[in-house]
Amino acid sequence: MKAAWEGIVAIATGFATTLKHLFRKPITEEYPEYKRVLPERARAVIILTRDPDGEERCVACYLCSAACPVSCISMQSVEREDGRRYARWFRINFGRCIYCGLCEEACPTSAIQLTPYFETCERDILKLVYEKEDLLVDHGGKDKEYNFYRYAGVVSKVGDKGAHIKEDKPVNIKSNMP
Amino acid sequence: MNWIVGFIILIIKLGVVLVGLLLLAAYLVLVERKFLARLQIRYGPNRAGKFGLLQPFADTIKMLTKEDIVPAEADRVIFLLAPAVVAIEALLIFAVVPFGASITLLGKKIPMVITDLNVGLLYVFALASLGVYGVALGGWASNSKYSLLGGIRGAAQMISYELSLGLSLVPIVMLARSFSLVDIVRAQADYPFILVQPISFIIFLISAVAETKRIPFDLPEAENELGAGYHTEYSGMRFGLFFLGEYVNLQVLGALVAVFFLGGWHGPLLPPVVWFLLKVLAVAVAMIWVRGTLPRLRYDQLMHLGWKVLVPVALLNIVVTGAFLLI
Amino acid sequence: MPKIIIDDREIEVPEGTKVIEAAEQLGIMIPRFCYHPALGSVGACRVCAVKFLEGPFKGVQMSCMIDAKDGMIVSTNDEEAVEFRRNIIEWLMLNHPHDCPVCDEGGHCLLQDMTVSGGHGMRRYLGLKRTYRDQYLGPLVQHEMNRCIHCYRCSRFYQEFAGYFDLGVMQSANRTYFGRFKDGILESPFTGNLSDICPTGVYTDRPSRFFGRRWDYQRSPSLCINCSLGCHTTVSARYRQVVRQEARYSEAVNGYFICDRGRHGFHYARTETRPWQALIEGREVPTEGAVRAARERLAEIVSSGGPRSVACLGSGRSSLETQAMLGQLCQKKGWQGPSYFMDKSLTGKAKTAVSRLDPELAVSLRELEGSDAIVVVGADPINEAPMLALAMRQAQRRGGKIAVIDPRPIFLPFDFNHLPVRLDEINLYLSALVKAAVDPELIVDAGKDAIEFYQEAPSLEIVAASLQEKASILAQELRAGQRVVIVCGTQIVRETTPALAADHAKFLRAAKKQAGLFYLLPQANSFGAALLASSEVSFLEIIQGVEKGEIKGLIVAENDPFYSFHDRQRLELAIEKLDLLVVLDCIESTAVKKANVFLPTSTLYEAGGIFINQEGRVQAAPRAYLGGISIAQIGGGDHPPRVYGSDIPGGELRAAYQFLSQIGNGDQIEDDDPTRRSLLRWIADNIPPLAEIPPFDELSENGMRISSSNDTSPQFAVNWQEEKEKGKGSEGPLEIILTDWTFGTEELSSFSPPLMKLERKPYASMHTDDAARLGLGHGDKAKIKLDEGNLEVDVCIEENMASGVVILPRHRLLEWQKIKSLPKFVRFEEIEKVSG
Repeated sequence: MKAAWEGIVAIATGFATTLKHLFRKPITEEYPEYKRVLPERARAVIILTRDPDGEERCVACYLCSAACPVSCISMQSVEREDGRRYARWFRINFGRCIYCGLCEEACPTSAIQLTPYFETCERDILKLVYEKEDLLVDHGGKDKEYNFYRYAGVVSKVGDKGAHIKEDKPVNIKSNMP
Repeated sequence: MNWIVGFIILIIKLGVVLVGLLLLAAYLVLVERKFLARLQIRYGPNRAGKFGLLQPFADTIKMLTKEDIVPAEADRVIFLLAPAVVAIEALLIFAVVPFGASITLLGKKIPMVITDLNVGLLYVFALASLGVYGVALGGWASNSKYSLLGGIRGAAQMISYELSLGLSLVPIVMLARSFSLVDIVRAQADYPFILVQPISFIIFLISAVAETKRIPFDLPEAENELGAGYHTEYSGMRFGLFFLGEYVNLQVLGALVAVFFLGGWHGPLLPPVVWFLLKVLAVAVAMIWVRGTLPRLRYDQLMHLGWKVLVPVALLNIVVTGAFLLI
Repeated sequence: MPKIIIDDREIEVPEGTKVIEAAEQLGIMIPRFCYHPALGSVGACRVCAVKFLEGPFKGVQMSCMIDAKDGMIVSTNDEEAVEFRRNIIEWLMLNHPHDCPVCDEGGHCLLQDMTVSGGHGMRRYLGLKRTYRDQYLGPLVQHEMNRCIHCYRCSRFYQEFAGYFDLGVMQSANRTYFGRFKDGILESPFTGNLSDICPTGVYTDRPSRFFGRRWDYQRSPSLCINCSLGCHTTVSARYRQVVRQEARYSEAVNGYFICDRGRHGFHYARTETRPWQALIEGREVPTEGAVRAARERLAEIVSSGGPRSVACLGSGRSSLETQAMLGQLCQKKGWQGPSYFMDKSLTGKAKTAVSRLDPELAVSLRELEGSDAIVVVGADPINEAPMLALAMRQAQRRGGKIAVIDPRPIFLPFDFNHLPVRLDEINLYLSALVKAAVDPELIVDAGKDAIEFYQEAPSLEIVAASLQEKASILAQELRAGQRVVIVCGTQIVRETTPALAADHAKFLRAAKKQAGLFYLLPQANSFGAALLASSEVSFLEIIQGVEKGEIKGLIVAENDPFYSFHDRQRLELAIEKLDLLVVLDCIESTAVKKANVFLPTSTLYEAGGIFINQEGRVQAAPRAYLGGISIAQIGGGDHPPRVYGSDIPGGELRAAYQFLSQIGNGDQIEDDDPTRRSLLRWIADNIPPLAEIPPFDELSENGMRISSSNDTSPQFAVNWQEEKEKGKGSEGPLEIILTDWTFGTEELSSFSPPLMKLERKPYASMHTDDAARLGLGHGDKAKIKLDEGNLEVDVCIEENMASGVVILPRHRLLEWQKIKSLPKFVRFEEIEKVSG
């Protein structure tokens, strides 16, 4: 009997709560009229950033495309004349992208980053396929400082052997001095 | 000559009721969405027309223009028929529902009911039972696990609750001494039966909600378990027919509650039809409120409630009512 | 047989098995960097540490250095061992650069795997990282020494295993460096294996540098078809283009390694100039139209001139399916052929090699490694089939003695004895050597034939005075050898030599030695070609038929006679006389340009196929990818076109046998399976040696060796008098010997840009004496008068070759096809110096 009473009270409370809600002002933010400022780390359209020297950060290592759960990233890596590895083409199919941010997490050079910009509706789905020229921006995004080639230890314009961060001078293999 | 006039009047009545029902069903969808939204502190649809008033038309156009997909392995004929069964069954019930007292037009007395069957109540039960077919066949014909499970659940649930539904109305019949819905309403000219039969009212209400498969009794289409249950595989207007059936059923529910417990068209000041519609709407809104508040029952809870609570209580109610009437 | 318990599981292994191998047999992969099954253990990396709980050793020890012994109880996951390995990984990573994203090894890097699986994530080392300068090592291998973990695999492979010494270890301790003394192209033709065996990214594949990651590749087992050995490879394709080919382990054929020709010989399938479009008289047409045209025009020719007015030419580089389809067509339609070889002599040699390859005698490349004496007759391993040289190197490392009887200047990466003799003398020298190697007492009960053979065979007396000493040493070595293998080439030798080699192998058997026989054939599927070839018709006979006007139509399937026929002028005239030339091929060739109807065929990688290697091993390669013009080509290097659709550009290619079936049988091929299945049935019914092998699709990893020998009894039928007669008279004119080089002569691999960079400029080799007589110096340009014009070529003077011969490579850049008939002799007057 007590249980039944409690049940009735519980149900009644539920009805009372929903009834109260009826008279509250809806919390909905009505989108096109009101646009909320999204946090910096909100995940939407993807960009390819540049390092502090203004060079493309992307080395086309394929980690983002490997991490992508929907396989929406494809690219072709090639070698630049100065030995830098970069993407000859880089394509993201936003028709498929689920904005999970795994590519950004996988990126070893901070090149690929998600931005809060999300208003990309298109009627032609092919317009959602972004090429490198659509993705590449002229700034460092959220990570302004990092420059992969200063650490990598491979020869490029950024540095010769031994000239990178925390590197010793190259070994002279023809010397017997200790 | 007389029968021709009668026939024309019948056709007109049918037309008015049909159009009214469909329009009301469409707007009931909007009402439900709006009201539910407000219960959940949202706005609900507000883009199609002012306050979203054109939303039902937008939805209908969408449904009509969408591709009608029949799964490759489905039983085609039954698959195509099932939604129609549901919609037609729901619409047919309104043949016996009285919308108001008779009116006199051009010297002719016209009853505000399509047909006043003297076994109207049995007719209602008969049709309500047929509704099971739509659900069970639709679920079976889709040849999908989810649909089949939904169909089976629907059949079990509807058969179970039909019992208490019927039993809960026995006292009403005893009070009104008639199976005719018109007579039942007339019997409530002084006071609605809800005052003398609150237990019947509650049992009827619960059972009727279960019959219409609305939350908290929406196990046959439980989204998070079965996709969409028996209509998982339906698309386009065929899904629309299921949808329509559901909302017509909501009106049926309102109408029956109004007829059996709330005194039908009876009421002061306002014309009888308006009273009737208000009562129907009130019941519908209450149902939406229920939907916005209560969570879905578990299957065992559903069966427990139906067989171990409602049926015994309804039987007891009959005995008590009978005793009172005898005394 | 010691029993050992590893991780609570017992296993019995042969004496001498290392613990790491025993664990592997149990399915436990102990981490390793320096240990490699082919290279053995050195205990350099310390990462295979396990804990020995019981037995002769206790505590943490290197599992690659310790033989399994009775009573050993080993734990691979003991806390102490795991901790030890974790520390080792951290130490190995101290100096490792932070460049995985730009390293081509990333994704299939052993060090990366071990680091990640060992849980080493953050660098604790605060000091400076050691760096090295890298070297240019040629077009095939990219060097990046910073990544080195000093496992010594590269130098062990390069020096010990392969026998080349221009790459090795320098410096000591923390400055140990692996490379060349100075920058330069690596000398070995096995350099690609460095990138396979390097556990990290010190050596990476240079032609496919920065192209992609292994996880993106469509990888498929495949076969190398750049020589007759049939090495196993793994082919990687991406974006409709073959990217890389790696060695695939094969127990019977190539072991763990392949040569650079095989590794980089796939470029013909991806060159931009590859023909993708069917042609009629040089005009691009839809494939169906071209097939119809070919069929109709052939029907016209047959209706006017009878079935014998059509002839078929196949090749040794086609799959067995294509070869057999030609055979089936000729059988069904009564067309002439099929011919797969340029002349009757080559047909004869190949057929002999196939029919005399007694299954008891035949040895595989792996079995060859176990022999203790090898006699190479008329073959140049490093140039004709480089992996043969690597196998012989292994035999030599195990104490085997190697003798080479060949007129060419032979180089092999190990010690061997070379008897440079003219082609006519090869038979005599072989007999003399074998005779001297056999103890006469042992053949007493070998049968009358064998005894007669022994008595009549020439003895060491016939050996030229200058070679006497060498020959007698060789004879002694052979006499000591118990497992003697005769390796016989079929390219340059006289027609009698292959049969004689078989006779001698039989004879050695009779003399109670475990003799083996190993033939080299001209092309990957020459074995299949020899099984199917008609012995009456070679390409030369077809040309004669065309000249007489008997043959009006010619079908050429995956062959380019303009590349391999010795008389181009005659060929061109004959082709002009033809009413119809139908060419099916997957490479851009002169024949394709001359064809009336051309049909583009798919490559091995796109269609798969069955190949039979020179030892009669039937091997199947599945399709690696669907084919079509690569994305790089249609996009011009830029991104793929922005279009809807699922059509593959250039996707109309079919396997040659499918086109042939369409042309001959008028089939409409929608699905390739029915054609192939009926074709395989035809093969089983019509080629007796192939009748008993299981369905081709069920062939095991190592294929199946067929027995092709019709008559296993020794023939011992040599006319020694004739041979001796031929062997005399070294003062005659110089014989032109056309030969193969490792790079630049093989048809398919000559399309490979990285290999082009390794090709030497074509030159003619001449013996010092002959050159002196002609007044030619090393590096001079000489003009050789051939039948149809002169050939100007640089001269290379060699000491270690036969006199009386001029060696010419069948080089793609040398127009040697000016010879009326083979063998070709030139008089001394016909060679003159052009410039110094």
